[in-house]
Amino acid sequence: MGKKSRQRMMITVLMGMTLFVGILSISVGSVNIGMLNVVKIMLGMDVGNPVYSSIVLDIRFPRLLAAVIGGAALSVSGLLLQIFFRNPIVEPYVLGISSGASLFVGVAIMGGYRFGLSGIGPLYLFLGAFAGAMLVMIAVCCAAKKVHHITTLLIIGVMAGFICSAGTSMLTSFADKEQIANYVTWTLGSFSGFSWMQVKFLFFLNAPILIAVFLLSKPLNAMLFGENYALSMGLNIKRFRMAIIVIASILTAGITAFAGPISFIGLAVPHIVRILFHSSDNRVLIPAVIVLGALMTAVCDFCARMLLSPVELPLSAITSLIGAPIVIYLLVTKRSEL
Amino acid sequence: MNQVIVAENLDVGYERKKVVENVNINAMKGQMICLLGPNGAGKTTILRTLTGLLAPLKGTVSINGNDVEHIGKDALAKELAVVLTELLSLGYLTVFEIAAMGRYPHTNYFGKLSEYDIKIVRDALTAVDAYRLKDRCFSELSDGEKQKVMIARALVQQPKLIVLDEPTSHLDVKHKVEVIKILQKLCAEKGITVILSLHDIDLAIKACQIVLLVRKGEIVAEGTPEEVILDGTIQRLYDIEGAHYNELMGSLEFDNTETPEFFVTGGDGTGAGIYRALSRAGIGMVCGILHTNDIDSYIGKTLNCRIIEENAFEAIGDRSFAEAKAVIEGISCLVDTGFPLRHGNHRNLELLKYGIAEGKTVFSLCKKENLFARYGPWANRIEVCGSVCQLIQRMKQEKGRGKNDDYWNIADEG
Repeated sequence: MGKKSRQRMMITVLMGMTLFVGILSISVGSVNIGMLNVVKIMLGMDVGNPVYSSIVLDIRFPRLLAAVIGGAALSVSGLLLQIFFRNPIVEPYVLGISSGASLFVGVAIMGGYRFGLSGIGPLYLFLGAFAGAMLVMIAVCCAAKKVHHITTLLIIGVMAGFICSAGTSMLTSFADKEQIANYVTWTLGSFSGFSWMQVKFLFFLNAPILIAVFLLSKPLNAMLFGENYALSMGLNIKRFRMAIIVIASILTAGITAFAGPISFIGLAVPHIVRILFHSSDNRVLIPAVIVLGALMTAVCDFCARMLLSPVELPLSAITSLIGAPIVIYLLVTKRSEL
Repeated sequence: MNQVIVAENLDVGYERKKVVENVNINAMKGQMICLLGPNGAGKTTILRTLTGLLAPLKGTVSINGNDVEHIGKDALAKELAVVLTELLSLGYLTVFEIAAMGRYPHTNYFGKLSEYDIKIVRDALTAVDAYRLKDRCFSELSDGEKQKVMIARALVQQPKLIVLDEPTSHLDVKHKVEVIKILQKLCAEKGITVILSLHDIDLAIKACQIVLLVRKGEIVAEGTPEEVILDGTIQRLYDIEGAHYNELMGSLEFDNTETPEFFVTGGDGTGAGIYRALSRAGIGMVCGILHTNDIDSYIGKTLNCRIIEENAFEAIGDRSFAEAKAVIEGISCLVDTGFPLRHGNHRNLELLKYGIAEGKTVFSLCKKENLFARYGPWANRIEVCGSVCQLIQRMKQEKGRGKNDDYWNIADEG
């Protein structure tokens, strides 16, 4: 069982790296705090500068947690969709789920004031994003019943994404400048300005779902063989299909609502994990995808903040710049499959 | 013997499109049943219905007395396993993991394998001779190995019935034989019932106890291969054009449509290969005189050549001899395939000599040194060809020379 212990070791290493990147990312910025001080503050020790505590605990730590939770959620969502559609290039962003969420968030941000709401609460944003994500996913799945070819389905998803984007751009032509600016900033993706309340919301939304996904490892493994085989092995396909749709939508919607549509994490992370762990067994993949998703998103967020500091780069630009070459490299050199 | 799967008055198809109607199958324990028929006849649809992947339009399928539609999917998975034609991309799953997936209906919520489960997987992989591949990835395997692993996976489900959709397509002969032998062993030793669809007529006839012929939406025949596969059955089943199938020989031969310009002897199997080679080269011929039980006669007929025949176990008689002479008169060349001379076919040599006497060219595939013993004084009038290739070259040169058009017009009308 050398493979198993090696996999366990790798997960531990990835967790360690996440912790390191996390502390590093909290320690640097417009104010450099130092990693030791960060650790001290986290452990509740006094570092002699109340501003440091405030920066760490109120600004940078919630931001990091959001990146970690969001990254894990997006990656797992990507993994689920790749298995569900039996296609290695599927992710929430590609399938139009993110676009659906964007449209409804757009409605919320740009139309919210019009409906007489003074501010946009996290629940409201989330409900908008969730409704959008679900709508696209259900549309794609309705189409799935009619078409047998999986590539067709993928194209339908992409088209649904275009339709949502069209809706969004029409919406922007009616909105006023300030709202558009708000919305555009949101679409570029960013973890900045996360409040503890939003982090808690994300955590309590995603944690139970991630556990649930892990509990679905066995049917997910069966799904690798395709629906017919899965059915012949005794899997209740209809219920399972519904579960995957709901789960992938919630995971995508939660993070998209607050941080905007973030590309490539959901696509790249499952591939990297498969190749690193040399496994397609979801009992191994799911925990590893959660950890690597968190790590990669934390790294991307760190880069977005620090590369051209003090200017903060859009997160999606960084995830694409880092994720796309990695995927190409892995595909070219290692021939990754599902 | 007890019934494992029973299908009664089954109509199968999709929504409003009926594909095959009135299917009746009664499979006993340990039987191997094969659906045979052309592409698009509905074999896959029947198999999908039998396995509960598709609801029947009419009628019922019951496995061990339980209606497939009402039995729970997990309960069904312990009775029935499938091997489908779908191309799988299973990434990094190892052969062992793939086979172990067959434990799905038997394991707990996480699919944790017990010692017993592992033993079952090991036994199944050993049964298909794939245990040595256990740590390999699926994508690294050959098509034949993949198919064996998928059979092992089905076996791991410990079903009473395995349904396979075209398990031998894409496989080379060696793996076809291996796969069929594995299935036969499962039937004989484990008492598993196997229902499969095949494209290989040969394999179906030789390996399966029962064949069902499916053609254009109906089951045209059902029974043992000996009962069902008669002269011309396959020709009709597949609507073969431009070739003929000989059920007895299990051989498919392309039709020779050329006008016969040569008389080619034969006998004791010396003719079959030459007839095929000449047909391939586009040379028409009349073959004779062959005994009705000679393999040359079967192959010649399947090639659509005219054969002058004599009853089996009888010496060549005057009737057939006269017929052959008439043919020789109308052509310019004869071929001696080097058939062994015995009491029964001695007159074939007479025919060749008659040809020489009539001034025809006679080619022989005999060895030069044997020529004198065979033809005596006529030997120096014979043109010896060292190989079939050389023969064909010479025949092509002779082709069309001295052709008697009147004779062939009459022959065509006859």
